[in-house]
Amino acid sequence: MAITEENPGYKWVGTRPIRPDGLEKVTGKAQFGADLMLPGMLFGKVVRSPHAHARIVSIDTTAAEAMVGVKAVITGSDFPDLAANGAHASDIDVASNAIAREKVLYEGHVVAAVAATTRDQAEAAAKAVEVTYEVLPHVLTVDEAMADGAPLLHEGMITKGVDPAPENPSNVASKILHERGDLDQGFGEAHVVVEREFTTKPVHQGYIEPHAAVADANTDGRAHIWCSSQGHFQMRAYSATVLGVSPGNLKVTAAEIGGGFGGKTVIYLEPLAVRLSQRAGRPVKLVMDRDEVFRATGPTSGTRIRVKMGVSEDGKITAAEVWMAYEAGAFSGSPVGAAGMTAIACYDIPNFVVEGYDVVCNKPRVAAYRAPGAPMAAFAVESVLDELARDIGMDPIDIRLANAAVEGTQASYGPKFPRIGFVETLEAIKDHPNYTADLGPNQGRGVSAGFWFNAGMMSSATVHINENGSATVVTGSPDIGGSRQSMALMAAEELGIPYESIKAVVADTETVGFNDVTGGSRVTLATGAAVVDACRIIVEDLRARAAKTWDVEVDQVEWVEGQAQHVEGTQPPLSLNDLAAKSGRTGGPISANASLNSRGVGAGFSTQLCDVEVDPETGVTRVVRYLTAQDAGRAISPDYVEGQMQGGVVQGIGWALNEEYIHNPDGVMENPSFLDYRIPVASDLPMIDCAIVEVPNPAHPYGVRGVGEVGIVPPMAAVGNAIRDAIDVRMTDLPMSPVRILEALNEQSD
Amino acid sequence: MAQVHFSAGLRDLTGGLAQVEVEATTVRRLVAALEEMFPGLGDRLSEASSVAINGEIFTDAEFEPVDSDSEVHFLDIFQGG
Amino acid sequence: MKYVAPSSVEEATSLLSTSPSAQVFAGATDVVPQLRAGRSAPEVLVDLKKIQELVSIVKDDTKWTVGAATPTANLTEDQAFSEEFQGLSEAAGLIGSDQIQNRSSLGGNLCNGSPAADSVPAMVVNGVRAVIAGPNGTRVLDVAEVVTGPGQLSLEDDEFIVEFEIDRMPERSGDAYLRMIPRTEMDIAVVGAGARVTLAEDGSIEEAIVALGAVAPTVVRVPEAEAALVGNTPNEQTLSAVAGAASEVCNPIDDKRGTIAYRKQVAGVLAKRAVLIAVERAQQRNGMK
Repeated sequence: MAITEENPGYKWVGTRPIRPDGLEKVTGKAQFGADLMLPGMLFGKVVRSPHAHARIVSIDTTAAEAMVGVKAVITGSDFPDLAANGAHASDIDVASNAIAREKVLYEGHVVAAVAATTRDQAEAAAKAVEVTYEVLPHVLTVDEAMADGAPLLHEGMITKGVDPAPENPSNVASKILHERGDLDQGFGEAHVVVEREFTTKPVHQGYIEPHAAVADANTDGRAHIWCSSQGHFQMRAYSATVLGVSPGNLKVTAAEIGGGFGGKTVIYLEPLAVRLSQRAGRPVKLVMDRDEVFRATGPTSGTRIRVKMGVSEDGKITAAEVWMAYEAGAFSGSPVGAAGMTAIACYDIPNFVVEGYDVVCNKPRVAAYRAPGAPMAAFAVESVLDELARDIGMDPIDIRLANAAVEGTQASYGPKFPRIGFVETLEAIKDHPNYTADLGPNQGRGVSAGFWFNAGMMSSATVHINENGSATVVTGSPDIGGSRQSMALMAAEELGIPYESIKAVVADTETVGFNDVTGGSRVTLATGAAVVDACRIIVEDLRARAAKTWDVEVDQVEWVEGQAQHVEGTQPPLSLNDLAAKSGRTGGPISANASLNSRGVGAGFSTQLCDVEVDPETGVTRVVRYLTAQDAGRAISPDYVEGQMQGGVVQGIGWALNEEYIHNPDGVMENPSFLDYRIPVASDLPMIDCAIVEVPNPAHPYGVRGVGEVGIVPPMAAVGNAIRDAIDVRMTDLPMSPVRILEALNEQSD
Repeated sequence: MAQVHFSAGLRDLTGGLAQVEVEATTVRRLVAALEEMFPGLGDRLSEASSVAINGEIFTDAEFEPVDSDSEVHFLDIFQGG
Repeated sequence: MKYVAPSSVEEATSLLSTSPSAQVFAGATDVVPQLRAGRSAPEVLVDLKKIQELVSIVKDDTKWTVGAATPTANLTEDQAFSEEFQGLSEAAGLIGSDQIQNRSSLGGNLCNGSPAADSVPAMVVNGVRAVIAGPNGTRVLDVAEVVTGPGQLSLEDDEFIVEFEIDRMPERSGDAYLRMIPRTEMDIAVVGAGARVTLAEDGSIEEAIVALGAVAPTVVRVPEAEAALVGNTPNEQTLSAVAGAASEVCNPIDDKRGTIAYRKQVAGVLAKRAVLIAVERAQQRNGMK
């Protein structure tokens, strides 16, 4: 169901053809990172720290090196010391996370790696690497890390963003702050004030495909890397940094990817595979098992968040105070900055203070996860808003409408919003039959909303017209959400030729221009813009070729539905096939490039409606109905847009109900498998109903807004608000698992 | 004169000022002017900010034009997933 | 590691007696993960699925005989069995997922020795017997006596279960199995409760058996719940006694799946609910309602 502002009558954009990657994926032909086999290839295995925090006293690789089949063993000393070379702090962190130097900072931190002829040999050799540790005390949560006298991860860490700067180091890397108006006055004007404190646990992106990389290094220092990643140019850059080589020496091919969600925008195995391959003189494959994915790759932050908000009698928010602490894991860089900017961005609030802290702790370095930082803050803010609505007896959609950011509203993070579609998503929920569907016993309904900026960044594309008039669209954006289809649809629209005659492919780092990562919901907008630009260059070229053929001025030629048409009408049309078949005569091959730093990013809003049923005697909670309304600007490929909307919701539901990292007191993860790290299974969920709202982004040729991320921002509060409605209990700690819900119910009846 | 706004996190370098008017034709020149007015601010902005000009967010804004009608906000850098 | 697929019970027992490190398997749904995790490394893997008795389902006037390696999908798809033993069929059908069901078996589920095995409480309340083959012939044991602790069996190394005997469901009787898991499938039971009742002609409960899983090192009976039910109807008072007795008898652990307090409380809830379902089924099986 789409709520469309004005549909210009596109022929291809907005249609639902069969997805181009489906057949290969379901028949097993798709080439994922772990599928590649090269002659002479060795198998690698990583040696990881068993301790959450320890000094590495010594590493003895002699036994491992002597074992049958072992061709290479590497440790941190096989990589350049970036700190000594005066590198940027963030590069040093990337390199230290890739392989430990003096200290290990989390259980699972890479200490060494081996390569051997068979997997069994590699595993045996990895076990034979002898590491001596001096175990240090550790901290696992923001509470522990921020406590007085907490053991430090980084001795020199002085909190940034605090004035005056603290004298002593701590585990707090930085502080962020946003302020407006007068908080005391704002709360003074409120009719009702609600204050709650929330905690969320780290949750993993949960991609079905573990990390995998194959590296084939030559003796001249060059290497070819195949990897499962969201951005092979980014993998090239990070790998080059860690290895200490020029990016031009590395060629990276993006394999088909089985999910990323942000977690594959960073490197893990790639530089290790390259170094092993260099030492061994043969290709090396490194694949993580699920255990390693959990112990050693970044989840998103666990948090502690306090929210206090006040509303007037007629539902206007008069003041908001937000305090947040986000876990960064072993190195600074939690998404608390984005959390600070998005926490109250949906609303026009005259008085607020939003304060946040980036806190390191002895757990894997956090990695991006779908709208990084925003979902946790939204859980807190949207839960409090729900309480306020209840306290003044106002409908949850109405209270959001009363405060909704619109075009011209000054966003909580500073600039004024251009045209946005938040109100339209609220109305889409209210107008939908789900909003008034009957609720049975033990059932409840909750509403929640969310915002995400979306990103633009850099993309390149090349479009080739083949000699029979078919076309190839080449980009460097790994396809994690259907971008090959949307590129082909936009190209079909621009060139005026059938979608079926266009093939969209993802090229490697040597055969297409630079592309930033596939992430930030940017590809349809930015890579799409590059594709559109390249197509428009081609169309201009085709007009010129037709003009040449007809011996007329270019302004006598129009390009309409895949044909050059003579304005005066005395010449029969020339199709793309005609011009392509004889391209040699009119100047040569027909092809165009476009590279850009994209403009005109449109922000995304989502409002969601959740119905749950809670078993009051066991705390087991089922989602029985779910509706998501999201402003896509213009849905180039509605099938894929719905897939993104539903995917974000499903991950948010898992985050809300059952997902969490469980550590023992030694900082060792106890549930590193999908048996006990509980993501939703298919039978857990109803069909997620989708309402695609289209308030076109005025700054984009097709009105596109990114859709991949914002869908994960509202669900935790939608579920929490529905549970509140069902059992009259406000859950403030995630996950809202059956054990916790039953405890809360028991407390309530005491 | 472009209107430049600072989030609260930057105000330790602006002596508490939330807003300032600056004469400049590009963002680079604007940042240079800010560095002159508030030593240390220019470096922090180059390192840790993206820029919104009249509501549009840029990741690399150096040569984007600004004019006397421009409203400029420096934002914390965020990452997508 | 060698793989052998004997075609008779004798061949299988002979292999087990002569190989020092031999392990039997049916669907291998527990064995393969254990091999991969390095938790077991037998020298010989003995596949029981080629032995006719191990994979058949036979019904006669007095009992059902179900091969120990019969895929549980075959059992749940057997309409006659599933109508007669609704609880046991449902319990067998909860193991894993649809795909796992084509490989999982009652024998495997029992002999893996997990306290949380889903089929075991239902087997216990139905008085299922295990027919065990060894070098000296066969012996019969109540299922409740097969598992002695987590991962521990009372079977000798050279013995294996050939088949299960389940006496025909008597008149006015019904069984049920419920479990608590946080999701809807692919989870290990946090609490499991099986119940079977037989009703007297006047509708009161003549016989009751209640067994709990996942709340103690092995499946446990709840004699006080059973006593509270016999001679009574399932009213609020008796059910409350059932729940209380179930919570009391639990000896669970705190782990990443549930706390002690949670397991005790929910054991009571599920025991009560299982009894009610069993009674309803007993009534339906005789047109009494």
